[in-house]
Amino acid sequence: MQASRARLFKEYKEVQREKVVDPDIQLVCDDSNIFKWTALIKGPSETPFEGGVFQLAFAVPEQYPLQPPQVRFLTKIFHPNVHFKTGEICLDILKNAWSPAWTLQSVCRAIIALMAHPEPDSPLNCDSGNLLRSGDLRGYYSMARMYTKLAAMPKKG
Amino acid sequence: MVSDSITNASIHAAPNNNNNARDVGKKKRARSAKLKQCKLDVRREQWLFQGAVKNKDCKAEQNGVVEERKDRNNHRPFGNLGMRPGGGENDGSIHHHHHHDSDLDSNSPNSLTSSVLGSNYSETNFTGSSSSSSSSGGCCSGNITEDDEGGGDDGCLDDWEAVADALAANEKPKNPCLESPPEHDPIAQSGSPQETTIGSDGPSFGVENSKPQCARTIPKASGNGLAWRPDDAFRPQSLPNLAKQVSLPNSNRKHYGCGGVPWAYSGVVSVPSSCPICYEDLDFTDTSFLPCLCGFRLCLFCHKRILEEDSRCPGCRKPYEHEPVEAEASVHGGSLTFRLPRSCSLITRS
Repeated sequence: MQASRARLFKEYKEVQREKVVDPDIQLVCDDSNIFKWTALIKGPSETPFEGGVFQLAFAVPEQYPLQPPQVRFLTKIFHPNVHFKTGEICLDILKNAWSPAWTLQSVCRAIIALMAHPEPDSPLNCDSGNLLRSGDLRGYYSMARMYTKLAAMPKKG
Repeated sequence: MVSDSITNASIHAAPNNNNNARDVGKKKRARSAKLKQCKLDVRREQWLFQGAVKNKDCKAEQNGVVEERKDRNNHRPFGNLGMRPGGGENDGSIHHHHHHDSDLDSNSPNSLTSSVLGSNYSETNFTGSSSSSSSSGGCCSGNITEDDEGGGDDGCLDDWEAVADALAANEKPKNPCLESPPEHDPIAQSGSPQETTIGSDGPSFGVENSKPQCARTIPKASGNGLAWRPDDAFRPQSLPNLAKQVSLPNSNRKHYGCGGVPWAYSGVVSVPSSCPICYEDLDFTDTSFLPCLCGFRLCLFCHKRILEEDSRCPGCRKPYEHEPVEAEASVHGGSLTFRLPRSCSLITRS
């Protein structure tokens, strides 16, 4: 069995065990393919994403964990480091700063941290990045909040 | 200062021990065997006593002994670390880099890392610190184990006999060290000042050194410091592993007596019990394998895979500069090759 598969199995067990530990992250493995995962993460509090639940899609390469998993947002999100259309995430640890010591769970935590601390200087969403870079925090907040309500929160009524 | 000198001493001691072990081990095998057992017993008692009360004292003594040897050999430890290629200057700079890197890492991914990987990190750090403080006895075992690992790298993993031989060779050197500590205390003191001076050249440098050494020594160190207390709790787990993994009765016992217990303890507490990369359990060789100065541990298989890819330490993301160390270890089948790199490092350094 490949190392990646073995490791993913271990991570799966770990996730099952730690489910209770981190209520903000819910990692689910695809029923038929252990290289496909989805995660539900809660938007961090005191951010425009608070109260939203965002879905992430993981595509784990065969070389995992030597190669990072490919992660993207399935839920629309207005964030400078997330491509608004594709959901692609610009995060160093998902690229050159990846370390095999990271896990899918830790990647989720990293993404939550990224949501709370956007990096407007390396934007995938230029509109969002420009709002932050121009100091229009209010504009950024309201836009992000709107999309959170539209896409990441259960609709009432 | 005291702590620094101690750590340095321990560090230096480690390399010396290795050398001694190799050189002396072959010669002294017969004689050392007797001495070992006696000393081991004595040592255990000491541990029980001192470990509980003062770990440092014991360490200092042992360190002193080690230091003596070091003084002769001088800066071998660096050679062990794999700094040889760079030379003295490089050593310093490299260490500094490490320092910065580690800081940076902690800052950037760290916020994440600390939370996410926090467990790994903290563990390793702790081991480092503990080992630094208490490395004296540990050095021997740590080094020895490294050697073993090196053998594993060579491809001898499957060859248990080779490992056993290596272990035996290592153990023999240990005994002298263990025995000598009390006697050599004065010497140790004399040695320590030198060490400190070296450290003064680059403060961070010294610290860094202590770290890696510590990591290597961790097993022993932890053992020294904590002696048997934690051990008792964890024994059930570690012991069976030992039995399974080390099929060498003689060497195994010795290790167990000297560093085996601490090792077991460290394996449970300070050293992760499973490889953080593949999540497989770390066996004896893996546990004593410290490829990077940052103290990040992983199994030999994963280490090899990483070397084949980007060759960066998963813990600090620094490239594995210590390949030389491994190479050393791997080559170490021939003692000659082993010495060569070290002597080179010495030269460059001085």
